Amino acid sequence: MPRTQTRTITFTIDGREVQAPENAMLVDAAKLGDVEIPVFCYEPKLGGPVGACRMCLVEIEGIPKLQTGCSTPVKDGMVVHTQTERVQAAQRGVVEFLLVNHPLDCPVCDKGGECPLQDIAFGWGGGVSRHIEPKRHFVKPLRLSSEIAIDRERCILCYRCVRFSQDVSEDHQLVLLERGAHSYVATFDGHPYEAPFSGNIVELCPVGALTALPYRFKARPWDIEDAGTVCTLCPSQCNVTLTVRDEKVLRVLARDNHEVDDGWLCNRGRFARREIHSRKRVTEPLIRDGGSLRPVPWERALEEAAGLLRRAGSHSAAVIGGQSTNEEAFLLARTMREGLGSPHVDSRPAGTLPLALHRGLGDPALQASTSDLEHADVVLVLDCEPIRDMPILDLRVRKGVRHKGVKLAVASDAQGALDRKADLSMRFAPGMGAVFAQALAAALAELRGHGSSAPGGESGIDADVDRLAGQAGADARSVRDLAQLLTGAGKDLGGVDSEVAILWGERLTVGEQGAAGAAALLEIARSLGLAEIDGAGLLEVPSGSNARGLREVGALPNAGPGLSDPAPLSAATNGGGSPEGLDVNGIGKALAEGELSAVHLLHCDPLSELGERETWERALSRAGVIAHASVLSESLAEHADVVFPAESHAEKEGTVVHPDGRIQRLRPAIARQGQTRAEWLVIAEIALQLGLDLGVANGPMATAQLVQEIPFYAGLTLEEIGGRGVRWQERPAASAFPASEGSR
Amino acid sequence: MSRRMLLFADIDEPGLATRAVYERRGGYEQLRRALTMEPEKVLAEIEGSGLRGRGGAGFQTGRKISFLPKGEIRKYLVCNADESEPGTFKDRELMQKCPHMLIEGLAIAAYAAGIEEAFIYIRGEYVLQADVLDAALAEAKQAGYIGEKVLGCDYSLSLVVHRGAGAYICGEETGLLDSLEGKRGNPRLKPPFPAIQGLYQGPTLINNVETLSTVPSILKLGSEDYAKLGTETSKGTKLVSISGHVQRPGNYEVELGMPSREIIYGLAGGPPEGRKVKCWFPGGSSAPVLTGDDLDIPYDFDSLAKAGSMLGSGAIIVVDDATPILDVALKVAKFYRHESCGKCTPCREGTNWTVKMLERIQQGEATPIDLEIIASVCTGIIGNCLCVLGDAMAMPIGSIIAKFRPELEASIEQARTQREAELSGSIASEYALAAQGAPIGGVPQPAGAYPPASESPLLAATATMLAEPPSSTAEAS
Amino acid sequence: MSATPERTPSTGSGWDDAADVTKGPAEIPDPQSVEMPQALRAEIEGHMRLYPDPTSAALPALAAAQRLHGWCSPEAIEQVACVMQVTPASLAAVATFYDMLETSPVGRHSVYVCTNISCSLRGADELFEDFVKAAGDDPEFNVRTFECLGACDIAPMASVDGVYVGPLERSDVQPLLDDVRAGRAVLPEKQLARRLVADPEANSQQFPEHPVQNAVPVQMIEAPQGEQR
Repeated sequence: MPRTQTRTITFTIDGREVQAPENAMLVDAAKLGDVEIPVFCYEPKLGGPVGACRMCLVEIEGIPKLQTGCSTPVKDGMVVHTQTERVQAAQRGVVEFLLVNHPLDCPVCDKGGECPLQDIAFGWGGGVSRHIEPKRHFVKPLRLSSEIAIDRERCILCYRCVRFSQDVSEDHQLVLLERGAHSYVATFDGHPYEAPFSGNIVELCPVGALTALPYRFKARPWDIEDAGTVCTLCPSQCNVTLTVRDEKVLRVLARDNHEVDDGWLCNRGRFARREIHSRKRVTEPLIRDGGSLRPVPWERALEEAAGLLRRAGSHSAAVIGGQSTNEEAFLLARTMREGLGSPHVDSRPAGTLPLALHRGLGDPALQASTSDLEHADVVLVLDCEPIRDMPILDLRVRKGVRHKGVKLAVASDAQGALDRKADLSMRFAPGMGAVFAQALAAALAELRGHGSSAPGGESGIDADVDRLAGQAGADARSVRDLAQLLTGAGKDLGGVDSEVAILWGERLTVGEQGAAGAAALLEIARSLGLAEIDGAGLLEVPSGSNARGLREVGALPNAGPGLSDPAPLSAATNGGGSPEGLDVNGIGKALAEGELSAVHLLHCDPLSELGERETWERALSRAGVIAHASVLSESLAEHADVVFPAESHAEKEGTVVHPDGRIQRLRPAIARQGQTRAEWLVIAEIALQLGLDLGVANGPMATAQLVQEIPFYAGLTLEEIGGRGVRWQERPAASAFPASEGSR
Repeated sequence: MSRRMLLFADIDEPGLATRAVYERRGGYEQLRRALTMEPEKVLAEIEGSGLRGRGGAGFQTGRKISFLPKGEIRKYLVCNADESEPGTFKDRELMQKCPHMLIEGLAIAAYAAGIEEAFIYIRGEYVLQADVLDAALAEAKQAGYIGEKVLGCDYSLSLVVHRGAGAYICGEETGLLDSLEGKRGNPRLKPPFPAIQGLYQGPTLINNVETLSTVPSILKLGSEDYAKLGTETSKGTKLVSISGHVQRPGNYEVELGMPSREIIYGLAGGPPEGRKVKCWFPGGSSAPVLTGDDLDIPYDFDSLAKAGSMLGSGAIIVVDDATPILDVALKVAKFYRHESCGKCTPCREGTNWTVKMLERIQQGEATPIDLEIIASVCTGIIGNCLCVLGDAMAMPIGSIIAKFRPELEASIEQARTQREAELSGSIASEYALAAQGAPIGGVPQPAGAYPPASESPLLAATATMLAEPPSSTAEAS
Repeated sequence: MSATPERTPSTGSGWDDAADVTKGPAEIPDPQSVEMPQALRAEIEGHMRLYPDPTSAALPALAAAQRLHGWCSPEAIEQVACVMQVTPASLAAVATFYDMLETSPVGRHSVYVCTNISCSLRGADELFEDFVKAAGDDPEFNVRTFECLGACDIAPMASVDGVYVGPLERSDVQPLLDDVRAGRAVLPEKQLARRLVADPEANSQQFPEHPVQNAVPVQMIEAPQGEQR
């Protein structure tokens, strides 16, 4: 669906001529003329205006009644007044009404100092109250969920929280009960409001009625500093603002980035304070001594790690976990390849894919952006469950369906949260995503190539769909319906091809069928013309937060930085072995069988994150293990020989790449905890002990180095990335992406 | 001189609620005839009649239909049978006694507007009337008046009788739509108006029971003849529900423009012997009150508007001169507080606060300044709310304060004096008990801490005051 | 007596109640886990079929559940939510909005006494107090004030299990309750269903005999002329 273009108009507000996009709501347009119209219930992120609080009443010439600025689209030539006595009287009236039952317990309210009600009462209120009747009193605060407290006295019934529950997360758990002045926000029958995004209501609340239990009475706005960074707990990579006091993260707030998170944040990201300041965190280097791990000085740990790797030489391997930054992965891969002559570097839990397929799937023309999900004609959710794998996209898909009329299809191996929203939803057998993709590709071919032939005809392709669907455990008719939906949705728009966005899970490319699944996905994309249609494309839901970045910087066994062909290894270290290394599964097996003897685990616990558990158990008990970990898992506690403390995302400096190609920047918000050191530095120091000077003295140098190595990042600077990130596909250097033969 | 009966003609004929009797009297003939006409012609007839909505707002019915987008869009007609405006009970009579007239009128209007899906939203309290409608609808379906291919022609109409569950706000058209969609009956922001985006986001025509029931008569008489009834801007006959302090409360069918006095005194017999009209609500309790001086105003849309009130739903509530106006104000205010949906601030808080202030007057804890505050709170509500419910309280309360200020001030004074007396009385008695060692405020006092009442100078002064009862405590009712 | 009784919020939780975090969230009920009276399911499904959007069936569905359970109990709401496949909270929001849907347990016979202005001008408040005195403690009865029931012509009046009766005098209270207790038609002579329209010119002819033809067979009575307060 084409995104709407708006023209600019001129209107007059308080005697000033102001230019604004036509049909922008008056409260937004007014800001362009430096006029603030106060609001409580208006929040465009929640959908259309509701006009409930009546705070934004303004006078418009030619309209007898005062109008709500939140719901009045601005038109050319409109003349608006916000400062007349009539408007001021109405605004004073609304403030007075709102304070009729508000307890004004600001001195003991966490919202104090950052409270819209305080600000608006100060700015637009009458200053005195004529209300002398007793206010209503409720027991407070009450628990609304395990993380959220509710203070119903303070509530001004702006509806924001219940609108979030109904219109954004669509969990429909939080509602208004009763009627009129008795209305109150509640759940059903005392159930807690537990939903993956419930914490957003705290941030939406314009008063202190909803507070986050972990932040209650922790700080005042004047005690704190805000630090913008990116949450790397999952591939959503939501933009966040960390509230910091005394080097502690006290809370996490959403930092609205329409192209990433649309201003929302899941509860895991929001309440990450627990993970960041967990008492279980490793905050000093440890080495195994006499069977157990004990803290040692840094120099000792570094020596130990370097020693392990040196002894293993080209029989070393590195497994890089999804939370690693581009810089860490890049430097560790260099250390392996250049310092030890080992090509055994991998970051893909799914196991290896041929480089051509990596290049095909990464083709910049094929990439859908996050916001494409809400503007597409059809979104296909294929072999992933957004709410679990990349939660923020669940909200984005719902938004598209709800507000933009996006058609939604879901194909997965289990019932999911989006099934209810879907126009078409179908199942395949667990783990059969790749085969399902082949069936869909076949169905599309049948539709495109043999559209006129009768169904069930003698063409081999028809049987193919049936056979493949059967093999995938899916219903062949549903697969054909899906093909129809994907190709047909744009037809009523005058025969143009549909904008189809496919949200696909990395697990589609796992295992023996993985390569076939990836190839089928590319075939589907080709068949739907995704590369040629603006706003159409593929968007991967990877298993690791920074999976895309890790691949692009070369954390793959069969590729160098920028998905280049792997460089030959120097004969001195490797004896001229193959430049292609083992993938994670191969590394596990080789370690278990003694063919490799040391492994560097960067933010990865193989036993819980990788397959083949038994192999890895043997591998870890047999090999030398160096691990970077924030919390010691049981297996690392048992098997690691050296453990380096890992930084949390609140401490880290570096870059990550969003699954849609947006390069984003992590900025340290707090000092590293305990003796934790920057991990890029730890890697560089190990490399140095191995005789390899990586040439990095600070974080930005590491970024600059990797940018230089990756042609399609060329010229990128941290300044350009800035606070909102930049999609490399949208930069000129994208043309330097290595084409995969046959993909275009 | 006999009055013209269009809706009420022989309304009590036994069996009129059945199709057989209704048809015998010429029922459904107008639907038959309409179906042979182009929808535009039918619409022209309705427009030509000048019929104005009988639900409260008085908008031209024909124009309302013409606002709907044309063409092959899913459109809806909703009959507003949520008759909840205090004092109004005319639709009840029509639905109970002549349900087929409503169904026929609804089908004609739907045909004129090109609508194929219709609903009657009837308030849940009207159990009997909803049962009657359901039975009539079943008959109408059986006879082919409602359903696929109405009377064999290329027009289909579905109709569902939907029962509400007790909420005045569902009579507000957008609140009704939300309620019909299975939600809380919160009014919606307008625009978009229902004619553009209403039920299920589709264009929706919403008409009152009486309005739709009038449609067959318009077709029967012809718009020209119908338009001769009533006044220039208020055409036709109107059902008036009259209640309160009159001798013959009930529904009457009058030509618009009849002097109000004739309705209140002539038809309904006026207040009981010896009583006078103190005030009257001309259009349900949402209408600003008029007084005994206003009885000669013609009962039509524009004359009442010019007098500062409104015809509203056509419900006259008469209050006689033995009733304290404060009681009336409090009754009205409490009703709107109870019915406020709570969505918008001025209505939710303003109705609640107004009630609290009026109660304070009753409890003797107010001063005349509080009347100013009530008036200004009402001003803060009027025109500033999401829908008109807030106005529906603020307008009558505002008019009561404006028109009965001296009485209200007297009530304030009287209640306050009484309250003061009660307070001193309770202090006196507590002291007296304390003198015998009883706890004061729950705190036990040492024996002898308080002298007997007879010896206390404070209580002596109180006793003196109590001996002179305030002059203004004469019973008012 | 207040015409706007403070409704005790319920369906399990009120404004002074915290959520019980040991419970799980109240999501859309799994049909496997909710015990469901089949007749209720059939009735609700019947309502859902009537509308372009089945959500429209919320009010009739809740009313049906209330008839079965006596009130919109959490259990009743869960059953409706299960059939309609919506969250129970969204139905609780609806149920608490409407006066006729009871969200705390009530007696099975409802006596709605209209205490709005027209009835109150004719003594409804005293009448209500009499009803409370006579049946307020009887667990079989749900005596409550109600806003204008749309029958001011028979003020003061009450709706007794949905049947409108009036004009009521204080002496009618006991016989009315006796009728309900005995399972008889309540005050047949005072039922609204039997009243002729007040307008004397409405009926051009007399209808002396009233054969049983209307949906509700009744003996018609004329509105008394010249009623006094």
